[in-house]
Amino acid sequence: MLAQVEVPTFWSEPYNSPALWTKLVVALLIGLAVLVGLMYAPVRARRPIVAVVTFFSGLYWVMLYAWPIPINRQDNQLPNGPVEAVGFWLKDSNSVIVSFTQILTALLFGLGIYSLLRIHLQRIVKTQRDWGFSVVLLACMSLMVFFGYADWNSRLGERGAMLDNPANWGFVNFGRDFLFEGLLQQMDAAMFSVIAFYILSAAYRAFRVRSVEATILLGTALIVILSLMGAVSGLWDDTIRSAANGNTFILNFQLTTIADWIRNTFQTSSLRGISFGVGIGLLAMGLRIWLSLERTGGSA
Amino acid sequence: MAGEQYLDTGWFGMLVTLLLAVFILVNIRRAKGGKDLFIRRIAGLNAIDEAIGRATEMGRPVLMVPGLSDTVNAIAVQAINIFAYVSRIAARFANPILICCYNAAVYTLAQEVIRDVYQQEGLADRYDQDSVRFVSDRQFAFAAGVSGLILREQTAATFFMGEFYAESLIFAETANSIGSIQVASSTEATQTPFFIAACDYVLIGDEFYAASAYLTRQPVLVGSLIGQDWGKMMIMVLLTLGTIVNSFTLTREVTSEKVDGVFNTIPARKAKLDDSPFNQLIKPSKPKIIVERPIDPTKAAPAAGGGN
Amino acid sequence: MDGNKLQSIPKPILYLLLILVTTIPLFADLSVPNKPQDAAIDLYAELMKLEPGSTILIASDWTGSTRGESKGAFRAIMKILMRRGVKVAFYSSADPQAPRVYQDALTELNKEHVAEGGKPYERWSDWVNVGFFPNAEAATNGISQDLKGAFTGRKDFPPGSVPKDVFASPVLEGKEKVEDFKMLLVITASKTSNITVERIYGKTPLAFAVTGVMVPETQVFYQAKQLVGFSGGLKGVLDLETLLETGVNYPDKATAKVKSEKYDTIEGFPGKKNKGQGTKYYPTLHFALAFMILLVVVGNVGMIMSKRQAAAGGAK
Repeated sequence: MLAQVEVPTFWSEPYNSPALWTKLVVALLIGLAVLVGLMYAPVRARRPIVAVVTFFSGLYWVMLYAWPIPINRQDNQLPNGPVEAVGFWLKDSNSVIVSFTQILTALLFGLGIYSLLRIHLQRIVKTQRDWGFSVVLLACMSLMVFFGYADWNSRLGERGAMLDNPANWGFVNFGRDFLFEGLLQQMDAAMFSVIAFYILSAAYRAFRVRSVEATILLGTALIVILSLMGAVSGLWDDTIRSAANGNTFILNFQLTTIADWIRNTFQTSSLRGISFGVGIGLLAMGLRIWLSLERTGGSA
Repeated sequence: MAGEQYLDTGWFGMLVTLLLAVFILVNIRRAKGGKDLFIRRIAGLNAIDEAIGRATEMGRPVLMVPGLSDTVNAIAVQAINIFAYVSRIAARFANPILICCYNAAVYTLAQEVIRDVYQQEGLADRYDQDSVRFVSDRQFAFAAGVSGLILREQTAATFFMGEFYAESLIFAETANSIGSIQVASSTEATQTPFFIAACDYVLIGDEFYAASAYLTRQPVLVGSLIGQDWGKMMIMVLLTLGTIVNSFTLTREVTSEKVDGVFNTIPARKAKLDDSPFNQLIKPSKPKIIVERPIDPTKAAPAAGGGN
Repeated sequence: MDGNKLQSIPKPILYLLLILVTTIPLFADLSVPNKPQDAAIDLYAELMKLEPGSTILIASDWTGSTRGESKGAFRAIMKILMRRGVKVAFYSSADPQAPRVYQDALTELNKEHVAEGGKPYERWSDWVNVGFFPNAEAATNGISQDLKGAFTGRKDFPPGSVPKDVFASPVLEGKEKVEDFKMLLVITASKTSNITVERIYGKTPLAFAVTGVMVPETQVFYQAKQLVGFSGGLKGVLDLETLLETGVNYPDKATAKVKSEKYDTIEGFPGKKNKGQGTKYYPTLHFALAFMILLVVVGNVGMIMSKRQAAAGGAK
């Protein structure tokens, strides 16, 4: 990845060059040293170490946001002074740091697979309750991994683009299509469709005229729902338009106009208010985590 | 003047963000200094003890779902913090718990946190490793798994806190169907109505972030919460000022217009929102000025029109 | 009649009735009058403004679970882009399934496009798949700050060749930063729309195609003019399909089926296959919504009757 970056920066060196190998070896050694150091560090030192690592990890993103971005930077320019030098470095580092994040997130897939295997293999070996379902789960997972990988592998060669046409498929492509499109996508869609039933039962149970607030909620919901029904809103609006006879005040009572007014005044402003609150809460939470003020576990 | 080119590139947004951070840190300091800071009552959080007590009486477990965060982010950490409190109460009552995790990293974190909670309470022998589970990292597979658990285990109290999407109603209705008491909160505002329709108690918006402060009364958390409130008041002041300034601007005529960071004289016309000083303060312009910098001789000159 | 019975109709009966209400209309060829909303008209207008041969970025973050809405929106949008010869670079950041799902939909759509006389919309020359990015926040940040760096190392399939770097394709040729694209369109059912607005707003025009439940929060961005337009839910899909057929103020403002004060004439594509999921499923939505309203009314009538019966019983 680094070798394909056109312009050498702090994070890259020419492919197979001594400088590249030196940087890789040094980085590996530093990583191993940190790992060993953490393993043998006294328990009391772990919290400060975690705090320091967290702080420097977060510092890059804070600086990326806060530091002045060099204006109208051309590719062949050098920075004007130390402030711009930092700005240049932050910008150049971004794709590399983002790649670190992508790699770490991708590692989580592996961690997830490991967790699943550990739990379900244990269940099978010890013949715990419902171990049969664990067999089914692992069998399905293995099948999907096999066909998914084989299908991806078959597309890497020169015939890759030809496999966009099902007429050119082989056994593994059909297998992948059956498992992915035929089973997984349909099951996903079915689960999502179940929500329709739950919406119906929740609405039937919850929408009662028990109080003034509940009545207002119900009335507003009714107006918005009716405005989504083209047949109803079309009829209502046509009736209002013919009754209005050019009177602009009466035209405000068209269903779509009322519904738009509800959306643009109450709904949008309320959501904006909630967004402000949630955004500030997220900022506060992030700040506490970054500065290690947050004590996860919330001991009383 | 050195750095002049940066004057019109969003310094106001940066200042507001910095002020928010300062408010939070100042109030943390105040809270640590022993100042008694008030938090209003939040019904959903008061109901936690009641919910766990009910579960203990019925002899049925308490289920917690820390949302569908793709990574260990602030929302997941906050949800785990709240569940640490719930687990602490449940541990004292010897009530079994179930925490269903969507993400492997959150699962790892939750395992460590909950184990620590039991150890802190001196009840390490009551901790069941299988009480914290990684179910699936696929949305509807997770929804199906958790729904199945709710129905099989007949949970008496369920807590849904964190990032929830379409599966929120599946969880809420399934728990409702077995008569479970539910406390829920979603950071996605679009899912809050579903929780409100189906759950007993709902934390709306940033009540979720207030929860850990409310429950534990730790000075850092309470101070942070007050700082957030100061931030909200600052935003309200800015909104009010902005409304007044913008309204006043729209009644006037303008004879200059800002284009690419430079004011140009134009024939008099009715002012638009973009002409308002407040708008210009908040919306950074992108000055098309050329900045003279040394050239790197090892790099090729860019094609015409390059640069950002 | 006992009010309590009206309030507690068994769920199996409700669900069975819902199945009937939503499936029976599918067998009838029903049509419903539709007035496209402003947001959909704006989205259509912006897509029709794109010059043939220009390139846009599409974040395709939907999967089979939301295909009822998202696939319809994807198909309607791609019909416009295919017919106008606009190139697209696709990427995904919400779900690893997403690239496969949209590619299958695109294959299907391309067949229809060719069948109605269109030029084949070819991989590599007309569209590329940049791939899946596991972390949405980091990926969007990377695209915003340094698109070339973010897409470095990504490969796609030119016909008859081993996979090559995406920047070698005609679609991404000369593209270095996100500002080089005429638009960034996000088709999503998750929070990637919010993530995109937070990080990329101001650099290139943004447009969304979201599910119905996300319309309120998307409306916030549209109202603040952070979006040039959006399509929301099945109604949004129907709006786009209607606009594909009728255009805006087309052929002229006097006789146009869809009128807008904001625009001059924007042509439609009458005579082509414009109807899709929106047109097919919207009548079903009508019946489902009407059924839900009926149930809510029945529940409330039951509640009022129960209260009166309780009061009458108490008075005795």
